[in-house]
Amino acid sequence: MQPRAPAMDLTEARTPPPTRPPPSRRPAPRFLRPQLLLSWLLLVAAVALWTYALPRVGFRAMGDYGLLDRFPAAFYAALALLTCGFLVALRRAGTAPWWPAAYCVTLLVALKAPPAVLYDSVRYPWASKHDAVVNQLLLSGELRPNGALSGNMSAYEQWPGFFTLTGGLVRAFGVDSAAAFLNWAPIALGLLLMPVLVLIYRTFTEDWRLVWTAVWIFQLANWVGQDYLSPQGFAYLLHLSVIAVVLRHFVRPGSAGRLRDRSFLDPASAAVPPPTGTRQRAVGVAVLAPLILAVNASHQLTPVMLCVSLFALTLTRRYRNYGLLAVAALIMLAWDLTMGRPLFLETLGTLRDSLGRLTQNSRAGYAGELTGPGPELAGQANVLMVLAVAALAGAALLLRRGLVRAALPLLLVSLAPVPLFVVNDYGGEMLFRVYLFGLPGAAFFAAAALVPAAGSPRGARRPVRRRARALTLHGALPLALLVLLAGFLPSYYGKEKMYYTPPAETALVTRAIDRAPHGALILATTGSFPQALHRYDQVGHWFFAEQELPENERMLADPARHLADGIPPGTDAYVILTRTQDIYAAGEGLLPPGGFATLRERLTASPLFATVEEHPYGIVLHYQPATEGDRP
Amino acid sequence: MTLDHLRLRVPLALAGWGAVAATALPGGSPPRWVPVVLFVCFGPGLALLLPQRGTLRPAARIEAVALAAPLSLSLAVTVSTGLFLVRGFSATAFLVTLAALTTVAAALPGLPLPAATRGAVGGGGR
Repeated sequence: MQPRAPAMDLTEARTPPPTRPPPSRRPAPRFLRPQLLLSWLLLVAAVALWTYALPRVGFRAMGDYGLLDRFPAAFYAALALLTCGFLVALRRAGTAPWWPAAYCVTLLVALKAPPAVLYDSVRYPWASKHDAVVNQLLLSGELRPNGALSGNMSAYEQWPGFFTLTGGLVRAFGVDSAAAFLNWAPIALGLLLMPVLVLIYRTFTEDWRLVWTAVWIFQLANWVGQDYLSPQGFAYLLHLSVIAVVLRHFVRPGSAGRLRDRSFLDPASAAVPPPTGTRQRAVGVAVLAPLILAVNASHQLTPVMLCVSLFALTLTRRYRNYGLLAVAALIMLAWDLTMGRPLFLETLGTLRDSLGRLTQNSRAGYAGELTGPGPELAGQANVLMVLAVAALAGAALLLRRGLVRAALPLLLVSLAPVPLFVVNDYGGEMLFRVYLFGLPGAAFFAAAALVPAAGSPRGARRPVRRRARALTLHGALPLALLVLLAGFLPSYYGKEKMYYTPPAETALVTRAIDRAPHGALILATTGSFPQALHRYDQVGHWFFAEQELPENERMLADPARHLADGIPPGTDAYVILTRTQDIYAAGEGLLPPGGFATLRERLTASPLFATVEEHPYGIVLHYQPATEGDRP
Repeated sequence: MTLDHLRLRVPLALAGWGAVAATALPGGSPPRWVPVVLFVCFGPGLALLLPQRGTLRPAARIEAVALAAPLSLSLAVTVSTGLFLVRGFSATAFLVTLAALTTVAAALPGLPLPAATRGAVGGGGR
């Protein structure tokens, strides 16, 4: 990657040319020159501090604040140093874009690698569901999209692309299961996503400082936790790749109009990509077809997001490509009506009910309120992060109208998924998905608010504007990056107690489900515990507390009777209650304070349930149906 | 075809077979999974994008780097899902199919994306 002529910082631009050293003195080696020295010194120092801090993270004894109070001070210092180093490297981004790139990669690893390096179990209990799906596929060796599995697990065989790929990797690596590499997914996906983001941002700006600041902000704002080993994380990468190709290679001839006029644009704007003829665009569609097919094979929602985004692009003259939109829609429809038919038809049936229920569809997660210091802090940080990024992006929309004109397609693509709130709540996850799909654009515009254009000749002559620019670059930018960093940490690690499961608990669940006969029913408060879906093709599931809090409060009055009434007659049923469920149910507000302990106590005391195995971290109970004479 | 082209195409064509050979090593060892993951993530995509007439311009190089993984993984998804659908899945079938596709792609001209053919889009190209 050879950078073009630098978009110079104003302060740099006015720096007098360096004086020639006296002939007797040898010039310092290049890597010891002040700015370069600072660039690599800060990077090395941050990496050293992070490496020192990592073994000292007390993740096995997490308290109310998850990992936040378990990270040693050196960890926070490392992140602060990385931010400082990035700001230093940014000043030379035009001539040496590899330095901010190195900082962005290091930030990704520093932020998201601790669980991958430290944990001896799968992060996010629900991620083990994906491990179970891969194991199941490898065991059966076939796809059964029409199989009626409990808990809608058939959906995973209707959109199996990501799981078959992971299965291929598991076998090719020669490991037991995807759990061996599962925790590394955020880093792998983040690394693959970074050049795609750069590609998108470079389409709209020539200023490398803006590009890398947007990538940096994207990393900090990507706390939403959708980048674990999951179909959505993978399909997101493919989705953005399609968008990148479209933005760069699908400009219609004669559509740029005034956008070819530099005076109409922001100094940092890139010129509109050269137009492509019908034949070139047809070739482009052929190149994109495998990507679009893979998006459809992997995930049910992302193709909808992709079609909506492509539709939004057709609203501009530049990207009015109905052919591409039609191809994307046809591939989606073909998949939905063949492999995905059962769930597609079921979703269509429920659409009428969910259509237009805006407040319901935009809720996050299940019904409860976040409870406990860590989850509450995480919830507040989430909201503040969204508001901060939106405010910064909004400021850019007002202040950098020239850039917005050029980058209008990116704005449209980012806003396109918002109307999906009207359609469906997607199991309480629509809010997170819409946020994630809007993030590339939001990060770009947020960066635009913080990195003023370097070389505006008109503006540069006005001292007030010059001062405002310097203040933004040297004051607002560092401050905003530190604030976003401070927001990322509770957003991503504040609920960590829910996400880390000691291996003994995982072993207990695996043992209990292995013990259950074919056709048995597994009962648990929630599905958020490790190995919850182990052998999901052979046993059924009832996560009985995944409902509104008042219903759970009624259930707690006599949980044994509530469960006994819900278990179909003649079913062999096991109740598994674990520490992770307790933390999740309390943190997400599914159960009232102390509710889980009450539940465990009452079920253990009930004659309807016999204890099979009991540990401090979990209990397994076997349902003993009462005979007619026993019933009150 | 010049020597430079061969220097690029031959390693690309052989990468997949190297990954197939690596599966003979002990399961889970880095000498096994590193070549496999590099090939599955980048091999087919680079074989499709890199072989172009002349040297790639900077914009096209960024594009090749960014799109190699998504293209490779898309092909890997199609191959693995296809193998499961015909009940013919195995690690060898998966890697051999991808390796064969990569070898063929390395022998053919690169995908004619405009940035690759004329280097017109992006910073360095203008």
